[in-house]
Amino acid sequence: MTSLAAQLGRIVGDAHVIARATQLLVYRSDALPGLQRAPARAVFPGTRDELIEVVRVLAAAGAPFVSRGAGTGLSGGALADDITLLGLHRLKRILALDPIARTATVEPGVVNAALTRAGAPHRLHYAPDPSSQTACTIGGNIAENAGGPHCLKYGVTLDHAIRATVVLPSGEVVILDRGDVARDDGTQGGYDLLGAFVGSEGCFGVVVDVTVRLTPDPERVCTLLADFTRVRDAADATSRIIAAGIMPAALELMDQPTIEAVESSVYAAGYPRDAAAVLLIEVDGAAAGLDDDVWAVERLCRAAGARTVRVAHDAAERARLWLGRKKAFGAMGRVAPHLVVQDAVVPRSMLAELLDDIAAIGDRHRVRICNVFHAGDGNLHPNIPYNAHNADESARVHAAMTEIMTRCIAAGGTITGEHGVGLDKLPYMEQLFTADTLDAMCSLRAVFDPERRANPGKVVPVRACREWHGVASTRHGARAGETR
Amino acid sequence: MNSLVRFEPKTVTEVAESIRDAATRGRVLRLRGAGTWMDVGHAVQADAELSLGAFTGITSYRPEDLTLSAGAGTTLAELEAATRVHGQWCPLFPWGDDRGTVGATIATGTAGPFAAQLGRPSTLALGVECVDGTGRVIAAGARVVKNVAGFDLTRAVTGSWGTLAVITQVHLRLRSQPAVDETWALAATESTDATVRAFADGPFAPLGCERVSAPDARELGLGAARWLVRIGGNATLVAAARGAIRALGVAYEVDARTWNAIRQRGAPAARATLWRWDSLSSRLRERFDPARVLNRGLLGEVA
Repeated sequence: MTSLAAQLGRIVGDAHVIARATQLLVYRSDALPGLQRAPARAVFPGTRDELIEVVRVLAAAGAPFVSRGAGTGLSGGALADDITLLGLHRLKRILALDPIARTATVEPGVVNAALTRAGAPHRLHYAPDPSSQTACTIGGNIAENAGGPHCLKYGVTLDHAIRATVVLPSGEVVILDRGDVARDDGTQGGYDLLGAFVGSEGCFGVVVDVTVRLTPDPERVCTLLADFTRVRDAADATSRIIAAGIMPAALELMDQPTIEAVESSVYAAGYPRDAAAVLLIEVDGAAAGLDDDVWAVERLCRAAGARTVRVAHDAAERARLWLGRKKAFGAMGRVAPHLVVQDAVVPRSMLAELLDDIAAIGDRHRVRICNVFHAGDGNLHPNIPYNAHNADESARVHAAMTEIMTRCIAAGGTITGEHGVGLDKLPYMEQLFTADTLDAMCSLRAVFDPERRANPGKVVPVRACREWHGVASTRHGARAGETR
Repeated sequence: MNSLVRFEPKTVTEVAESIRDAATRGRVLRLRGAGTWMDVGHAVQADAELSLGAFTGITSYRPEDLTLSAGAGTTLAELEAATRVHGQWCPLFPWGDDRGTVGATIATGTAGPFAAQLGRPSTLALGVECVDGTGRVIAAGARVVKNVAGFDLTRAVTGSWGTLAVITQVHLRLRSQPAVDETWALAATESTDATVRAFADGPFAPLGCERVSAPDARELGLGAARWLVRIGGNATLVAAARGAIRALGVAYEVDARTWNAIRQRGAPAARATLWRWDSLSSRLRERFDPARVLNRGLLGEVA
């Protein structure tokens, strides 16, 4: 009998199938440190037809698989444990770009920033802008329902997705849309299948192509940097700005450890090193009236206790301010070899309280927490630089993270705002959702992937699915006692 | 319809019991909020009506978070009144009127004239509590504005016309009201149609832009066919937008309440009669309501 690798090689060419353990090493991780899984083989289709054929061969073999874009995910979602890894990065064609309708149709491997570059001649851009946007792919963004700083005003990935062609794990090719928007043929009406698919973390199928909305570049953009001597005041300024009815394009908070890491790196942005926190605030839109909003933001920041408020006067200064924010995770590489980028959401009004609690948790476990996050959305990113090879430190990091998650759940928040559950957050799902709700999630998955071959063992704990009781093992899930 | 037996469960547990009981007996339940959407889809051959009348009232409202939770049977008018005092909007403003319920608005996914700027039900629903056709009590989403924890049951249930689950509570995203909010009427002619549409797509991002037909315009006291344009923002922005509108043609300001009349005239979506029944949609229905207890036939599915 022919091996699966050989069968896949016949479709995509042997050069695009990897089955040797040494060559597969690079695919053992995504951007989540401390968790590794070795795939059995990796296959990289180069065309739409190859992708569909690959999925059909996997279906015929009953073989589970994990799809992967650029591997920038932060929840271990793209790890394949001794099963097939389906790499999509070769599918990077922009199939259509309609500047009048302001839409683009792309293959899943198109890099997020490349789409924005393609829109630039038409003064259009792709609004969702995760910090990894220069590397991450649209397919991965769809899988995770990715966010980013500018999602505060412009919405997350789902808000920009119009239609997707998807190959289901069975090999069936379907077209998904939101149901509540008129289709090109004038018909309208249907379940929000695209809404269910976006953010399903590769468990529902594989994107063949996706049509997304492009956003007109704003007439004017203004970026402010406000610095505070207390983190609490920065959180308070955030609430005041939102309460005043101003909708900034972005409202980001960075605390002192983050500022220190950024300012010591090549990404130094000129953030005041002695500040307890800075807010990076961007206001954009029509040129008329923008200054009024800028003044209002400045006034509100000062009222909340800002020491200084700096307004970037040109594109270069603005870019520099943003570089520090977008590369903050990279800058933390100076502090320690590994970095946990955490993700949780709480009601915005609880930010100040939560930040105090997170600091106390860090102190108690003797870990250094760097906060850099989307304050306007209440979307926290408490990050911990550490050495994953140090078992004691890893255990303390893990304990601190668990406490932070529990605290966010208790605050009425959620365990992930944009990074996904993957493998990393599986242990919290039963804390967050009732048994009936988790079982309903399993039913939703079963609509798309009844055999659960796409990204098995992720997102919803296997034991939560009543239909599967006693059937599956937790083989592809987190391993008991694993040190992170 | 009115002769049907009506259940009015008081708790989520009672909703689940009603559904399980109906499933066991092979009966069909017609879901009812305020009863304003009953005749929009195909006819439902129901054995009984399940009213959400007991699920009323705001259960949580944090103005500083711009989020609100309410029982499904709460009217939009009540939400409007509660949010207005905080300078906020419950931004659904669906076609129809404010006697309708928030649960029905989310269940039918009914948007309105401001959806492009303020959001559609499918983007404004942060979470739902509901009971599916198997009696599972589902709490999906949360009172936070960003959330990717688990598979998105909120999206599946929103706009499903009660054929997957009975919504008992919704969590919503709110918006701040703009400092200045004006509605302008412009003569609608072939030459203004293109320029008004371009204005709507332009940097002023008007909240709403609707063409009112001549008969409707006469009834609303607007004379001939009109464009209604609603602009919102700070005073400087609105002043500039006002100038731009006046440059498009003869324009005059009208009462913002005109929009209520426009919403009432907005055709209830025929979407429920043109439902896409592909293989995935049938499987979705099967997984969440295998006995077809909920609103059987409303979406024209072949039994």
